[in-house]
Amino acid sequence: MIRMIRTTVLALVACALAAPSHAGLVIDWDPAYFYSTTPGVTATNAPAGSTLFIVGTVSVFGPPLQFLNANDPTKDYTFYIHGMSSNGTTPTAVPPLGTAYVTTYTAGTIELYEGTPRDAAFDPNPPNANVPSTFTNGTLLLSGTFYNFYTQTNNFSNFSTGNAEANISWTGGTLLPFMSPGGQPCPSLFTGGLSWHPGVVIPGYLFRHDGKIDLECPTPARSSTWGKIKALYR
Amino acid sequence: MLRTPGLPCRAATRNAPFLTFILTALLALTAAIPAAHAQQLLFDYVGFDYESPVIVPGQFGGLGNGYVGLGEVPVLESPLVSDQTNYEYTYVLTGLTATNRVVAPPFIVIQYSGPGTLTVYEDSRSTGTAFDYGVNPPNGTAPSSFTDGTAILVGNITNFVYILNTSTGSGSYDANFTAVGGTQIANIPVGQRAGWTFAGVTGNSTVSIPQGYAHQVDGQTLIPLPTPAHNTSWGQIKRKYR
Repeated sequence: MIRMIRTTVLALVACALAAPSHAGLVIDWDPAYFYSTTPGVTATNAPAGSTLFIVGTVSVFGPPLQFLNANDPTKDYTFYIHGMSSNGTTPTAVPPLGTAYVTTYTAGTIELYEGTPRDAAFDPNPPNANVPSTFTNGTLLLSGTFYNFYTQTNNFSNFSTGNAEANISWTGGTLLPFMSPGGQPCPSLFTGGLSWHPGVVIPGYLFRHDGKIDLECPTPARSSTWGKIKALYR
Repeated sequence: MLRTPGLPCRAATRNAPFLTFILTALLALTAAIPAAHAQQLLFDYVGFDYESPVIVPGQFGGLGNGYVGLGEVPVLESPLVSDQTNYEYTYVLTGLTATNRVVAPPFIVIQYSGPGTLTVYEDSRSTGTAFDYGVNPPNGTAPSSFTDGTAILVGNITNFVYILNTSTGSGSYDANFTAVGGTQIANIPVGQRAGWTFAGVTGNSTVSIPQGYAHQVDGQTLIPLPTPAHNTSWGQIKRKYR
């Protein structure tokens, strides 16, 4: 019995040790805006093959990028997501409220820049002279593959709101080592809320997005024996 | 308009300047209404949610279950005043009970009774208690480490609706937000206190969501932009509409 209890306790301790070294918010923004260059795309319908682009300005950095100051008046931190195309929108009836819509996309590329001066401008009707150019000037801090991206919208929420989500695999940029503790790049989760309420959307854009990127480092692990683990805690 | 039944033409003619005056004033007011009621960001929040009390175990949004959201507020915009260097800002969203649940697989739409309350707290980083989510809330630090400090803004939450897609594991919510209290309530002009809040929610993170919490939340609260105004004379206004 004592042996069983000890084994259970050790297993629990081992599980506790497996907590991730880096987990949580690394980049938060306000705002980001989505747009398409394909005519006819709306908040509730993105025909297969239609394009989608995202531009945004970072408002807060968390660990391991907390040394970056998103409020530095001489710089801006911006991101640009491109290369995605819609797989089509799937409607689902939600009686008696209305209809919900899910649109999935092919993989694209995400890029994070540090630029001087602080010039990012969400000018209407992109692409234009400032969009995406003022979001892609400067030093490329991070780049990666943006995949499993989808948007969820509907025609019944009070303030025209939904959400978007994707996974990221970081592959490049001057800060890549920070996203790769132990030499293995950590996957990240892109998540947050969308709104297409006319009071918050700039003409020519589809959505305003309030979101963040979480770094989700896998648990570092190595082979061991119960004897070694027990010895650790004696 | 002047030939209202029972109003003699002579009287109408005599009142015409007065009516013109009223009409002009109304037109001036109409001209001042911003297009599409443009909104401005008031604050941005990130955190987690859970249910308490739980009347229907194992079913998020089960009828009678209470909704609680809490977390940090990394961005507060004017007219609120903040000092992120010396203070931490937290939020707690509570007082909401699931009253209706529409199931249309894979979607679930949960409607909540209100009013709930969304409160923003300011707590000293040097002398206050740092927020701590802990696990399996409510617990010894959540929500208590999020509600200590000064309540700088209190808002009533109504029409709170939560949309979840059980297939993707994510969703969103939105609600009316009306600022009603807190030490900085006076910073917000009366005409701008009725706004709204929304957030994206997800249960997909395998490592970021503390045990016992349901979803992580990233949201923001918006209020109407102030109505642009400038000084003018009645003569100028009348000339504009002649």
